[in-house]
Amino acid sequence: MTELLALMLAAVVAGTPLLYAALGELITERSGILNLGVEGMMVIGAIAGFAAVYATGNLWLGVLAAGLSGGVLALAFGFLAISLRVNHVAAGLALTIFGISLGAYVGKPLVGQSLNITDAQLSGGLTSIPLVGPLFSAVHPLVWISWLLFAGLWYFTSRTRAGLVLRAVGESTASADAIGYPVMRIQYLATGFGGVMAGIAGVFISVVYTSIWTEGIIAGRGWIAVALVIFATWRPGRCLVGAYLFGGMTIAELLGQVMGLGVPTELLSATPYLATVIVLVLISRKDSTMRLSVPASLGKSLDIKG
Amino acid sequence: MTDQTRRRLLGGIAAASLWSGMGFPIVHAKEKLKVGIIHMGAISNTGWEYYQAEAWRALQAKYPNKVEVTVLENVADIQSVERQFRQLAVQGHKLLFGTTFSQYASLRKLAPQLPQSHFECCAGIEAGKNLGVFEARHYEGAYLTGIAAGRMTKSNVLGWVGAFPVPQVIYSLNAFLLGAQSVNPDAVLKLVWVNAWVDPAKERDAVSTLVSQGADVISGSPNTPVQSEAARSAGVWSIGNTGDFSEFVQETQLASFELDWSPAHIEATQAVLDGNWEPVGRWRGIGDGGFIRMATRSPALPASVGKELDAAEAAIVAGDLKPFTGPIKDQSGKMRVTEGAELSDGDINSMTWLVEGVQGRVPS
Repeated sequence: MTELLALMLAAVVAGTPLLYAALGELITERSGILNLGVEGMMVIGAIAGFAAVYATGNLWLGVLAAGLSGGVLALAFGFLAISLRVNHVAAGLALTIFGISLGAYVGKPLVGQSLNITDAQLSGGLTSIPLVGPLFSAVHPLVWISWLLFAGLWYFTSRTRAGLVLRAVGESTASADAIGYPVMRIQYLATGFGGVMAGIAGVFISVVYTSIWTEGIIAGRGWIAVALVIFATWRPGRCLVGAYLFGGMTIAELLGQVMGLGVPTELLSATPYLATVIVLVLISRKDSTMRLSVPASLGKSLDIKG
Repeated sequence: MTDQTRRRLLGGIAAASLWSGMGFPIVHAKEKLKVGIIHMGAISNTGWEYYQAEAWRALQAKYPNKVEVTVLENVADIQSVERQFRQLAVQGHKLLFGTTFSQYASLRKLAPQLPQSHFECCAGIEAGKNLGVFEARHYEGAYLTGIAAGRMTKSNVLGWVGAFPVPQVIYSLNAFLLGAQSVNPDAVLKLVWVNAWVDPAKERDAVSTLVSQGADVISGSPNTPVQSEAARSAGVWSIGNTGDFSEFVQETQLASFELDWSPAHIEATQAVLDGNWEPVGRWRGIGDGGFIRMATRSPALPASVGKELDAAEAAIVAGDLKPFTGPIKDQSGKMRVTEGAELSDGDINSMTWLVEGVQGRVPS
């Protein structure tokens, strides 16, 4: 029983960076902006956060640095996609390539370096708080925060006026603009938020998970996060389930091998993408499900005429 | 004035081309030999590129006045690799080193086309025209660390994190288990593939999974500090397989071995300096001029086990102990190496089967 619990916890931890990145991308896409630069923003967040923790030993400064750098990169993308109305896909891919290369470049002096910090420092000092401390040694504070963020975002997108405005912008940018909403400001905010979340996802991997810096540390998880948003049909609840499902797949793949279950590991590695394709096929079968799931203005920039 | 200098310049070029066309030796006595090295990744403080860099650093230290080393790093894609090697050759580098197997195919093609330079490729398969290769017998180090693992395991379950199922990884993990079984016949090895050369997060998950299934000594290939850290935080031993990570995890790393490519670099350079370079294949393990060197051991390792390791190491160096000497059965119980026989280098280099006691499989 404790073993099963440990496995579930492992799946949750493996899914946490996916959850951060995917929730951020979900908000971005809900505003009609398709940012395919998640992988690049995660790399930048990972190195910025790692460098900050390496220098200061403080987890929270690392999270701050990661969030800020991810956010700045996202706003740069936003300038291209929102203000200059560059094609979202092209700008996003450029952002990914840029982020990966820049991360490798600035991270060079730290390659192979490992964080020499105590477990208490790694938990941001929260484990020493009386009564609630043990909660944070069992489950990392950033995992708790991801749950709080999830709850907040679910409430925001489904129960608040501001959340509905965000969705309105993503459904029909032109109509929202005509009604008088500050469409571009909303899109900038949503894009920046997505970048902050991707940055935190990155620092979770480089600092909390591996405590080491090496090139290629994100290893495609940004793309899984993009796929996860589609898998979740742009809904936070399904995003949570999907993140742990995809995270659990990694654990299941490894466990299946060790237990000698004879599962084809390559197939399990491909599961997130397969599942996403299946969801895409299911929602594209009918016009109505398509309309209900996909933000209608996704990937189209607001074209203000006159 | 300008005309004159131009004429002089042209004259100089003509003279130079005449000079080079007359079959004078490649290297002149007074000028330095230019050596070029291309790294695929960034040079760091641990891992593959680090040991490659240690080799040319040793070369610089050995011939401070005779050799000039040019190093390019982070040349990842094949087109750039080929272009850069060509460029180095054109710039007058007479000896060029490839640092990974990934460059081997390119060098095989380039070496005959650029006869003005000589080529050497680390981890290449076989020597070719104008191309020498060198590779380490990783399995000798893996066998020795296996002895430490076999002695220290309480559960008799060892764990191995594999990147991809290539022969070099397969013979290493087989030798690791054979070493362990030589002192502990009950030892088994649980094997997990992460299907990535670099994915530290997944390596960490792989270690936790192995530990959850009873493994209490973890090794892997390629090995990274992440695996050792994960082992330490899970409260089990780790092994430094082609890298010493004791500074990260202190005494929880039982034993380790490192790569040392400097003999290959120095020998090839000396041969070019002497004008008698030949394309040869060098495949060496532990010992003088070898490519593998046993590194730190944990203070937690009992002295008796340390002596056992020393004895086995001496026997390997003397040639009395060959890790792949029969009887060796594979997973299905089929006899692969009969009593007293030993595997040929070719068989070791193309190994795709797992020895008896490995729990896991080679994806087909």
